Amino acid sequence: MENRLATKFRNVGQYGIFLAFALICLGLALSTPKFFTLSNLMIIGTQVSINALLAFGVTFVIITGGIDLSLGSMVAVAGVLTATFAHPDTYPVIVPIFAGLAGGLILGAFNGLVITKSKVPPFIVTLGTMTIGRGLALILSKGRPISNLSDTFNFIGGGTIFGIPFPIVILILAFIGCSVILNKTILGRYMYAVGGNEPAARASGIRVNRVKMWVYTICGLLSAMGGILLTSRITTGQPNAGAGFELDAIAAAIIGGTSTSGGTGTMTGTLIGALLIGVISNSLDLLNVTSYYQQVVMGAIIIGAVVLDSMGKEKGV
Amino acid sequence: MKLNSIYAFVLFAAVLTSCNQAKTNESGKESADKKLVIGATMLSMQNEFVVNVSDQMEAKAKELGVELITVDAERSALKQVEQVESFIAQGVDAIVMNPCEVEASSPAVKLAMDAKIPIINVNSETTAKPTAFVGSDDTESARIAMKYIVEKLGGKGNVIMMHGYMGQAAQIKRDKGAKEILKANPGLTLLAEQSGEWDRAKAMSLTENWIQSFGPKINAIFAQNDEMGLGVVKALEAAGLKNKIIVVSIDAIPDALQAVKKGALDATVYQNAKQQGGTAIETAVKAAKGSTFEKEVLIPFQLVTKENLGAFLK
Amino acid sequence: MSDIILHIAGLSKSYSGIKALDHVQLTLKKGEVHALMGENGAGKSTFMKILVGLVKPDSGEIVLEGKRLEHNDVNAILKKGISMIHQEILIIPELTVAQNIFLGREKEITGSRTGWLNDENIVAKATSLLQEMGVDIAADIRMRYLSVAQMQMVEIAKAISNDAKVIIMDEPTSAISDKEVATLFRIIRELKNKGVAIIYISHKMDEIFEIADTITVLRDGKYIATKKAAELDNGSLIAMMVGREIDKMFPEPVAEKGKVVLGVKNLSKKGKFSDISFEVHAGEILGISGLMGAGRTEIAQAIYGLAPADSGIVQINGQEVFIKSPRDAVNFGIGYVSEDRKSLGFIPELSVKQNVTLASLSEHRRGIFISNESEDKAANRIIADLKIKTSGGGQKVTHLSGGNQQKVVIGKVLLSSPQVIILDEPTRGVDVGAKFEIYKLISNLTANGIAVIMISSELPEILGMSDRIMVLSKGIQTAMLTRQEATQELIMKYSVQ
Repeated sequence: MENRLATKFRNVGQYGIFLAFALICLGLALSTPKFFTLSNLMIIGTQVSINALLAFGVTFVIITGGIDLSLGSMVAVAGVLTATFAHPDTYPVIVPIFAGLAGGLILGAFNGLVITKSKVPPFIVTLGTMTIGRGLALILSKGRPISNLSDTFNFIGGGTIFGIPFPIVILILAFIGCSVILNKTILGRYMYAVGGNEPAARASGIRVNRVKMWVYTICGLLSAMGGILLTSRITTGQPNAGAGFELDAIAAAIIGGTSTSGGTGTMTGTLIGALLIGVISNSLDLLNVTSYYQQVVMGAIIIGAVVLDSMGKEKGV
Repeated sequence: MKLNSIYAFVLFAAVLTSCNQAKTNESGKESADKKLVIGATMLSMQNEFVVNVSDQMEAKAKELGVELITVDAERSALKQVEQVESFIAQGVDAIVMNPCEVEASSPAVKLAMDAKIPIINVNSETTAKPTAFVGSDDTESARIAMKYIVEKLGGKGNVIMMHGYMGQAAQIKRDKGAKEILKANPGLTLLAEQSGEWDRAKAMSLTENWIQSFGPKINAIFAQNDEMGLGVVKALEAAGLKNKIIVVSIDAIPDALQAVKKGALDATVYQNAKQQGGTAIETAVKAAKGSTFEKEVLIPFQLVTKENLGAFLK
Repeated sequence: MSDIILHIAGLSKSYSGIKALDHVQLTLKKGEVHALMGENGAGKSTFMKILVGLVKPDSGEIVLEGKRLEHNDVNAILKKGISMIHQEILIIPELTVAQNIFLGREKEITGSRTGWLNDENIVAKATSLLQEMGVDIAADIRMRYLSVAQMQMVEIAKAISNDAKVIIMDEPTSAISDKEVATLFRIIRELKNKGVAIIYISHKMDEIFEIADTITVLRDGKYIATKKAAELDNGSLIAMMVGREIDKMFPEPVAEKGKVVLGVKNLSKKGKFSDISFEVHAGEILGISGLMGAGRTEIAQAIYGLAPADSGIVQINGQEVFIKSPRDAVNFGIGYVSEDRKSLGFIPELSVKQNVTLASLSEHRRGIFISNESEDKAANRIIADLKIKTSGGGQKVTHLSGGNQQKVVIGKVLLSSPQVIILDEPTRGVDVGAKFEIYKLISNLTANGIAVIMISSELPEILGMSDRIMVLSKGIQTAMLTRQEATQELIMKYSVQ
């Protein structure tokens, strides 16, 4: 009995971010009629999609107790690689997509390999990869943006299906896929186990290193998807794209209730976190607030979300 | 173990010093031919325009038979100052600097002037006066762009301006130029202004949001560089508003020229990277040799529209 | 003046309508060692948390030296003279002993007004304090170089330096050796002589009778009774705690022993243990006894692949096997229940269900997915079999009592269908009632033909449960005793050999 009550309390804490998000949306809808229109919601969804993909990836990583700072660089590498093969009348569209994904896969696997083999903290390894990745992107593109991409390729970021922008379709599919991995697969369970108590997970016979390899590789793949989407959206592969994206992605995961100490977090939370960031920056633009203030507001929301989350947790115990 | 590594270190050091000696001998021999050495520090080799300037400098140096050492300051003024220090230590004959910042890169100029090495600022300015300046006046570029909008709208309408990184020299000057023209034409209203941080993706999102705010009320958008201009165009195209709204930006990068060709971008302003780079090297060589040179070379901007596009497309 | 130092009456506390403490009382005299007994969940920890100001009570009063304690924060209570030595010792490993002792009080201790630290002064004060206690610990070394027992001494020193009138000790002997327990008891007696009152919480009966003057028993959040220790014996105390007599603590051993399941030959690991050989039969319990540091846990972890041995042979059903990781061990049918269930046993963030199935999840799979029905079925079965008290499989493990957490860990190992189970201190930090259940559980395992290796520091437990007992001393196997020949004296003799 007591525990059921406690669980309920905790759930309120967990869904605090949901509530906050709903309240903010309500407030915005009341303050400007332009906010709650179908076309604006589509735009928010599209603008959020890239950050959400990266945030999903980093949520996996943070759940296992790690961190990945190389997301932004992986976006750039994937973007440049994909653009290289996406010129009109060269390859079918599947080739650039695979080239981009391969870039993310390789860098992600590299992260995983170094982290599991060397025992160097993920923060440092991925910090290194961040710089390596940026350099690779510049080398691959010779420092210049790669443009003149095919229309089929540009459909990824600019097309619509039944009136829904394609990035939103990708976002929804990725969300479902990531949620399934986290909640329904053995790998997902093992991620929670590794992040919750690594020695105990190892003592239970879980191949901890293999779990970590998977997590960083998946994170690389999702970053690459983000990179492909970005490239297609701006119809250019830019070597300096994605700088600072990792921070937005980590912020989304944290706002969504993923604990930086590992072991907890949900994809739904992360999605809400990413949407919250997107909604705020969209509405501040609508209200014509200068970007200086936008940054202050965004920082306050990150801190506020974490405070709210920890308060909810205290209540639950 | 330990002894071994010490031994290896000593060996390594010995090899290193002997190498150094070989090098000094070599340069001693070469000093007879008196090949001029110019050091160049560039704002950022990740920026396409800068890369274009740098390429032209390289070509010009080859043509004039001087040795050019190019380094990348990676947008850090501190690094730039250090690079100039090491040029001075190396005893180069002249320095070309593409400054990172107006104030923070100034010490580099002073250092070179104190060391009596000619220093030429290319593309943008510093507070400290260099030996010579080769570049274009950013204020003028914005005037040209804005005048085009005035002309197209017949002096009446709603305009939006997208800034670069706030506080950078280019942003401040382009803002100044644009505002001058707006003031002179009271028929134009500035609906909104916001920073797109020189970035295509950011500009695209910002424009999408503006479209939600103002929709067809917008008559023209002025973006302070082409990257952002192209982002604006992408967003307008997606919203089906492109043929109703005039978009002008600055720099005339290849992508932008392609967009002008397709009619997506109405106009861009050509800043002559080739001429800037070439002239910078020419000026540096003259200054190093002690012959006369112009203290300030302003390369004029040119408006690029579909009509005169041919001259700019390679 | 009365010699009553602390009087507590009518203390109650509810969490979401459930009473954790219901009108609890306690009277503490100067120089008294007062044992607080009760099963886990009886309310001891809530009681102590209220006393040190970590939790606010709903009602009741606490009177310290005739003055009512208004409920203020931890710091204020500390200043008034109530200190607690926590079971998980709270220290800062990278600071020195002296810095730890005076942490937070640097200004008052050194008399510095500026905030500059005066480490020499602190070290001198700490050194004299430790000397007074008769403890040989250098005040200027970093905390992390100390053993658990030494850290405990530092904590006590800290309490003394706070002029503590009441010191609460929560399971102080749960992680220290017998010799260190003797030192602890000497210090407790000295504190007693100085008039310091001690509230002593422990599950170890023999200790309670050795050190305590008075015993107060709680059960289900209620005050049961306070008695002089001399008036009680083992049986009557347990009866008070569980509310019924436990006539037989240890179940009868299973008569039938099967073939050899696990064979270990000449197992050695440098600096830990050397030349260990033994066999365990199906249905047999092999007890491993020895002092702290004798290499018991190290041998277990070597067999389980957590810290593989340097040399030696491990055989399963007569076949030599090579175990390099816990995963290999699980695959060969070896299960391990760690002495350290918090760090090696369960995942706090996961539910009971998810914890028990963690080691055998691959049996509940459909492709890469988890089959919910199959997992639920297995989890519910084990929860019922082991009588794990939960509100449901979805409850978090951290919300369970120590005994139930231990059952979760055992349940996890059982679900991976092992042939051999190594239990390392299976009843540590578990209350009497749950201990009894765990003994029954172990006995059931052997009845089902599982070979059991049980490591324990509690001699009655080893003697009561084991078919054979291997005694270790400093990493060397000193004896292999049968159930019939083994006695406490004999085991102790070989342990110190």
